[in-house]
Amino acid sequence: MNSSSGEGRHDDDSALAEFLASLMDYTPTIPDELVEHYLSRSGFHCPDLRLTRLVAVAAQKFISEVASDALQHCKARQAAPVKDKSKQPKDKRLVLTMEDLSKALREVRKLTVSSIYFFEVTFFGILIYCLLIEKKKKFVMIKV
Amino acid sequence: MSDGGRESGTDNQTSSKKSKVSGGDEFGRAIAKIAVTQICGSTGFHSSHPSALDALADVAIRYISDLGKAANFYANLSGRTSSNVFDVIQGLEDLGLSQGFSGASDIHRCLASSGVVREIGQFVNTAEEVPFAWPVPRFPIARIPKQTSSFAQIGEAPAGNHIPNWLPAFPDPHTYIHTPVWNERATDLRTDKIEQARQRRKAERSLLSLQQRLACNATAEFMPAIDGDAGKGKEIVTNNPFLAPPLPYGEKEVSEIVMPKVDADEKKLSVLETFAPAIEAAKNGSLTSLISEERVLPSERPMVHFKFGIHSKSIVAPLSSKAQNAKTDSWFLRDDEKDDKKRRAEMILKEAMENPQELAQL
Repeated sequence: MNSSSGEGRHDDDSALAEFLASLMDYTPTIPDELVEHYLSRSGFHCPDLRLTRLVAVAAQKFISEVASDALQHCKARQAAPVKDKSKQPKDKRLVLTMEDLSKALREVRKLTVSSIYFFEVTFFGILIYCLLIEKKKKFVMIKV
Repeated sequence: MSDGGRESGTDNQTSSKKSKVSGGDEFGRAIAKIAVTQICGSTGFHSSHPSALDALADVAIRYISDLGKAANFYANLSGRTSSNVFDVIQGLEDLGLSQGFSGASDIHRCLASSGVVREIGQFVNTAEEVPFAWPVPRFPIARIPKQTSSFAQIGEAPAGNHIPNWLPAFPDPHTYIHTPVWNERATDLRTDKIEQARQRRKAERSLLSLQQRLACNATAEFMPAIDGDAGKGKEIVTNNPFLAPPLPYGEKEVSEIVMPKVDADEKKLSVLETFAPAIEAAKNGSLTSLISEERVLPSERPMVHFKFGIHSKSIVAPLSSKAQNAKTDSWFLRDDEKDDKKRRAEMILKEAMENPQELAQL
């Protein structure tokens, strides 16, 4: 068990090491210098270039996800209303607008905000419920 | 897409010129905007609004900063100052919680096989490689501070034995010692004033000599130039008292030309007397004779005999018994032949005689 988990971990480590090595071949769109500048600004200190590449790739992935979400919104906007036959249907030009972008970004933030609210509400709710039960128990005891 | 990239690239340039709000971080923001534009282009957009690109670039920068902060936090939590790959993975997990990743609910998960890493791996394998368009220099450029040289480097002996020569040298004494600077121009001021007065006197002298020369134009006499007596010509006075240089009070014996209270006819006539040669000159038609007569302010008054018409209010009686009757007669006889100008001059004189008080103001 231990050995297998140890081997599993070893595999994972090697996979990670391989992955990091493969990162060096891939050139992310966000340049290394920019990433290093903002990382050093926020306190991140690491001389290893692979980590900066990892951060750059992660940021690129994030932005591309947001952009693809915005693209979806844009396409949905174009597909839904087919008002005029006069203008060219399905206007081919896909333009990134503030509206689509805000919708896409809202989805990113959505869960975090609502989850915190949910968490706090449930916490206090449970707390109050317990208190009430305690009080009820006391009352019951006294009555009895 | 090259078209999309180029188009949004032009949008980039116009917007980057306008926005100057960031204040110091403009270069980083510009680079981020270009990178974000390239990503959008590769995603499938043809073009974009510049404001949307700005916002997305801001989001990217914030994401990188947050990731760095989280990684640093985890490193500090483990008692390290420099982060390693696990700190970064944990940071990624923190940031990616909202979107979710596989294996997030796994309690005993290993970081190395984290879902986040796998997703990134998939992204790397599937997404096409779009390197950044332009070479980016290393920034920000750290300015090398100018080091103050030591005593030994300058070659200066430090003041005092207690100061070793490898310490930085003292600044120049003129930077901290205030030596008063005397204004050398005190004497120059005085000489300047003297020079000014001298030049003024010279100018006055030359002016006087000019006047004199003009006065003596007709006469054959050659009057010498006046020697400087504070530049005021005492001896020569032009015919016209108004053109003469001002004399200090009491210096020149001046007859009282006009008095408000007319006691005698003598005083009344003074203006006429003064202008008599002028009138004569006008009559004759030559102006030079006007000032050709060298006159001291009159102590003797030429006889003037005026005869005016009935409407005239002033009658002037002749002063002295000097035989100038002929002159005045001729003056009067030629009344008809005179020009209008001369007639007008006479009228003016007439009016001047009417009001002696006005004369006083003259």
